[in-house]
Formats: sequence, C-alpha cells, structure tokens
Amino acid sequence: MQTRRRLLSLALMAPLAASARRARSAERKVVNLTISTDGDLLAYKPDQLTCPTGATVHLTFRHGGKYISQEHNWVLVVPGAAEAVEKAALAAGEDAGWVPRGDRRILAATPQCGKSHEVSVTFTAPAPGKYPFLCTNPGHGEVMHGILQVTPN
Amino acid sequence: MHQARRLLGIAFLSGALLVAAATPAAADPKSPAAVNMGLKILAGVYGDMDRKLAAGQYDRLPHENQEFQEGSGALKDAVAHEPAPFKEKVEATLKTTLSAATHVADASASHDQSKVKAALEALATALRNLNALFPESLRAEPGTVAPGRPH
Repeated sequence: MQTRRRLLSLALMAPLAASARRARSAERKVVNLTISTDGDLLAYKPDQLTCPTGATVHLTFRHGGKYISQEHNWVLVVPGAAEAVEKAALAAGEDAGWVPRGDRRILAATPQCGKSHEVSVTFTAPAPGKYPFLCTNPGHGEVMHGILQVTPN
Repeated sequence: MHQARRLLGIAFLSGALLVAAATPAAADPKSPAAVNMGLKILAGVYGDMDRKLAAGQYDRLPHENQEFQEGSGALKDAVAHEPAPFKEKVEATLKTTLSAATHVADASASHDQSKVKAALEALATALRNLNALFPESLRAEPGTVAPGRPH
C-alpha cells in the first residue's frame, strides 16, 4: 500500500520536476551579445565571444566608425570554413550583400551595417566548439575576424 | 671631374641631413592617441589595398581610395589644434599621400599588376614620410596594420 502511494507521488512529481527543469533551461538559454567594429579599423571589438550551447543568442553588431563609410557585417561560420565562405561571398557579390545565401557553412549573418548604425541577428548556439566569425565584405575577412566560443551547458 | 662629382654628392647628402635635422618630428602632439589612430586608419586602408592587389581585385581599388580619402579626416582632426607651422607641414604631406592613393585608383583601371604595384609602393613611401613627422611611438607604418594572411 505504502509502495503504491510512493509510486503514485513519484508519478505526479516527475512531470512537475521536468517542467521546472525546462523552465530553468529556457531562462538560462537566452544570451545577449554585443560587438562592434574597432572604430574605423578593420577589426572587431571584442574579437572573442562566448555563449552556451543551445542558447538563443541575440547578437547586436554596431559600426563604430566615424570617418570611413564602408559597411561591415558579422557572419558566423562552421569551424574551418572562414576562407571558403569569404571566397563564396565575393562570388555572391554586392547585390547579395556579400553573403552567399543558403550556404550551409553559414550559421548566422547580420545585414550590412553602415557607419554609426547597428544591426542584429538571432540564432541558436551550435554544439560546443570554437566558431569563426568574420566580415564578408571583399578583403575584410582576412583581418576582420574573431571566435565565438560555444561552451557545454 | 671625379672629385668634383664626389664633393657635389657629399654636399647634397649634407644638405639632405640638414633639412632632416631642421624638420624634427612633433615631440609631443596635443592628441597623441588621435594621431596614432589617424595613422593606423591610413595604414589599415593601405593594407586593404595591398590585399586587393594580391587578389587581383583591381575594380575594388577606387573604392579603397575613397576609404583612404575619408579616413584621412581622422588625422586632419588629430592635428587640428597643433601650431600652424606643424599643422601645415602635416597637411601638405597628407595631401601628397592622398594624391598617391588616388594614383593607385587611377592605375587600377589598367589592370596591370606591375603598374598598380608601383603606385602602391609610391603610396607606401608617402605614408612613411607622413609617419616620419610624428614621434616613433605614434607611428603606424604601412604593412604593420591589418596585414592579412601572408601572400
């Protein structure tokens, strides 16, 4: 009789516990990241970002330039694909915003961002690892790049 | 004749040294960080031009020239409150540098690598002359800012 009662209470508690876990997990998994250009230089500031795997990431990218009107973007790619994506972006051309649409190596990309403006993108953080990000405007990616470190939960 | 030529050479070198000594770098600019940033911006765009040339992207070079002209505003602002003689010297050297950058853009229309490379080397020389007006600690020589992957 007592065993049956225990089993019943366990059965009742289990969904509640799972729901609480889900709620905690959902709370934990929203991350806001901010990054900008290093003024008018071809560089990101900071050039290292971190977020947990599975998180919903809201990334805001600001163009901190004051003098040069050249636009920039922020493109997250799978490890080892930065150079290839840079070439694909060049082939995609200016009309495509220097982003090869539908390229599976691209995990997230902001629109082009002009001087003193900001743009944003929302994406789900991939599996743990180090993911390169870069500006895909011609010639920028070689020097304007960084790493998103995705940590285990 | 030979000795006269040698003497002329020595006189020319001495003259050049005297001119160099008479045009000292600004020991202490009023806005050192802004001067350093202004020089860094120009060296950064130069680096971008160099990468475009290496990649054969001649058609992008006029755009880089536009960035160079825009970026020069940072150095102009940085020396805005310097004493007039020094400010004028910087502005004159900067003007030569901007002409050299425009020449790179003009040369790019030829799609002739050696021609564009020569124009880019002339720009590097102009940039070095510009840097020479400032203390060593503030300089940003061409090729030192955002040089990119080796090519």
